[in-house]
Amino acid sequence: MKEAVTARRVPTPERPPEQRLRDFDEVNLGYTFELAVEEAKRCLQCPVEEAPCAKACPVHIKIPLFIEKLRRYSDARTAVKEALRVIWRDNLLPAITGRVCPQELLCEAACAKGRVGEPINIGKLERFVADYAREHGIDDELLEEQLPRVEAKRGRVAVIGAGPSSLTCASELAKIGYKVTIFEALHKPGGVLLFGVPEFRLPKKVLEKEVERLKRLGVEFKLNCIVGKTITLDEIRREYDAVFIATGAGTPKLLNIPGILLNDVYSANEFLTRVNLMKAHKFPEYDTPVRVGRKVIVIGAGNTAMDAARTARRLGAEVIIAYRRGREDVTARAEEVRHALEEGVRFMFFVTPIEILGDERGNVRAVKFMKMKPLEERNRESKRKIMPTGETVVVEADTVIIAIGLVPNKLIWENVPELEVTSEGTLKVDGDLMTSIPGVFAGGDIVRGEATVIEGMGDGRKAAKAIHQYIQRSKHQQAILKV
Amino acid sequence: MRWNSTGYRITGKADLNAEDFFVEVEAPEVAERWRPGSFVILLLHEKGERIPLSVQKVRDGRLSLLVKRLGKSSWQLYREYGVGSEVAHLAGPLGKPIELKEYGNVVVVSDLVCGHAENYAISSALREINGNYVISIQSFKDRSEVYPEEFLTKDVCHEFWLTTLNGSAGIKGHFLDVVAKLLEERDIDIIFGGGELASLWRLAELTKPYGIPTIVTVRQIMVDGTGMCGSCRVLVDGKIKFACVDGPMFDAHKVSFEDALRRLTRFEREEKLALERYLRGGAP
Repeated sequence: MKEAVTARRVPTPERPPEQRLRDFDEVNLGYTFELAVEEAKRCLQCPVEEAPCAKACPVHIKIPLFIEKLRRYSDARTAVKEALRVIWRDNLLPAITGRVCPQELLCEAACAKGRVGEPINIGKLERFVADYAREHGIDDELLEEQLPRVEAKRGRVAVIGAGPSSLTCASELAKIGYKVTIFEALHKPGGVLLFGVPEFRLPKKVLEKEVERLKRLGVEFKLNCIVGKTITLDEIRREYDAVFIATGAGTPKLLNIPGILLNDVYSANEFLTRVNLMKAHKFPEYDTPVRVGRKVIVIGAGNTAMDAARTARRLGAEVIIAYRRGREDVTARAEEVRHALEEGVRFMFFVTPIEILGDERGNVRAVKFMKMKPLEERNRESKRKIMPTGETVVVEADTVIIAIGLVPNKLIWENVPELEVTSEGTLKVDGDLMTSIPGVFAGGDIVRGEATVIEGMGDGRKAAKAIHQYIQRSKHQQAILKV
Repeated sequence: MRWNSTGYRITGKADLNAEDFFVEVEAPEVAERWRPGSFVILLLHEKGERIPLSVQKVRDGRLSLLVKRLGKSSWQLYREYGVGSEVAHLAGPLGKPIELKEYGNVVVVSDLVCGHAENYAISSALREINGNYVISIQSFKDRSEVYPEEFLTKDVCHEFWLTTLNGSAGIKGHFLDVVAKLLEERDIDIIFGGGELASLWRLAELTKPYGIPTIVTVRQIMVDGTGMCGSCRVLVDGKIKFACVDGPMFDAHKVSFEDALRRLTRFEREEKLALERYLRGGAP
């Protein structure tokens, strides 16, 4: 009887869809302390060294250990502080990863409890620890204890880009006494967390707090600074002991089909940047506009497609997500797909756009799709291969949003011939994430192409270690040379 | 290196005509890097939009920008941001500058505020290079629109032509008329153009039969200006290019002007609404 109860997760409250569609506030309200403890008690407490969840986590958070802290202390403040201490050892941005990680494919997929029932809700527990700590000033308290005791004089490191990988690398280095400067092209830090992920999935106040914490660690932000334009990589190298490049995969892929230049055809990046970064949903209070018609078609089925679709729903449109593969190959987080469905987003599978049709004024009127069919054969990502059926279908729409992925922005390497680049435009790195230029490291999507936030953060952490070793080694060599 | 992360001081401002004005902004790190052909993005305040602007020249770490009062942001810049005040953000230089080299006989034309700024920048830079003979042509509707002398390209080229549509100043006509004449009478090696897209389209058609390289600024709506959003995409030689990073200057003979012109009107309704609301005093 008891087993039957604990086989199921303690649910986290969510706001009803009809209420969600009226604003951009967060969907999931997260655990209270009592609910978090109840969920924590379901954990089987595998030994940390062998815990499958920790192994599956790209940054290897000691998950059973932080969950144990929640169970051990009856006082919420102490429990959260100790749990946060455990998490921070491996991940300084738990409020973010708790919200944007695809846990169902990582830690929760590996969870031993999952074999007999529902896996532990690790993502929501992580988020609870981070949120409770932030709301009660516990993170500030812990930070105070951990602030570097020494003046930042171990060396100077430049970090290019202000997304998740950069923020992680910067904080790791700042914590051990490096003076870190972050160079960001936009007018605010955050990268994809700022312009890509919508408010209803990651409230910007959460991000702002993380940035504030970095500033308290002594990290300096140079905004409006486009490396490769405002300043060159060479100039930065002259002033800093090492460089970490994490400029992401910033350039949207567009379809090579007729009609791509019609007026209301957006890349998901443009659509989301207008809303998330520029607050176009508050136009005309904010100056940047966005136009969404009555019927929106979103092409693609990744997280960005869900974000664009759900944003368009909130702006009052009917939304169809069109995907060339089937339901089982949707790449978005399971929770985002569920939320999209609850919010009335409809899906069309096995269709690929072949033309966007316009009216005489150049506005979108419909999208013409080729119907696809799946084959038994699978591709390298073990997705079923697809082929055109020859049959087409025309679906009415007045706005089209293309969310088929991104490629690296070439601005960073365009004028730096020494920086070796792959045919995909990503930077080549060695096992220590060092590029072809000594002392210049890189990580996140500029290396991986398109990966998750947590993988980018894992790179940031790994690079921080490698940078530390690199700088200490070169200082040591310089000292020897002087003798 | 002196850095402005936020807050860029306005150090100069003047009327050019009833609609256009000059504004000078202090941004040493951008000014140092700027070259003719590239542009900057300006953001007035935290609720503002990112607006691309053409640079006329730089001096002492300051950028001279020429702006038309057209939408809400340019009106607000004109009305509320005086000398000594600060705009929130400025980023650049963006886009690819032109190659500064010996071209031979160069014609530079413009008929709109951004084009006039670019004309000044390009003419003055190319005139400094031995072997170039720079003919600069500026077109205005009528006499009342003609800029004060120091903002004209008169002193930064070898040969200056001023035209007005009604002939009230300079010669009567448009730069297209002058170019047509020059094409017949002179050996022209290259033409640079900026301003109204419709005029640049006609310029492209005019020079194509002569096979004269024609490089024009394709003005488009931008958001980030760093190649991240694709709002400014232009079809060039059948391929999608981003005006912000691949341009803004392209080979006019390869640009799909029809698409470019239409995409400029994407937010016409919203732009009108925002401006009317602002002029009514509805927005701070």
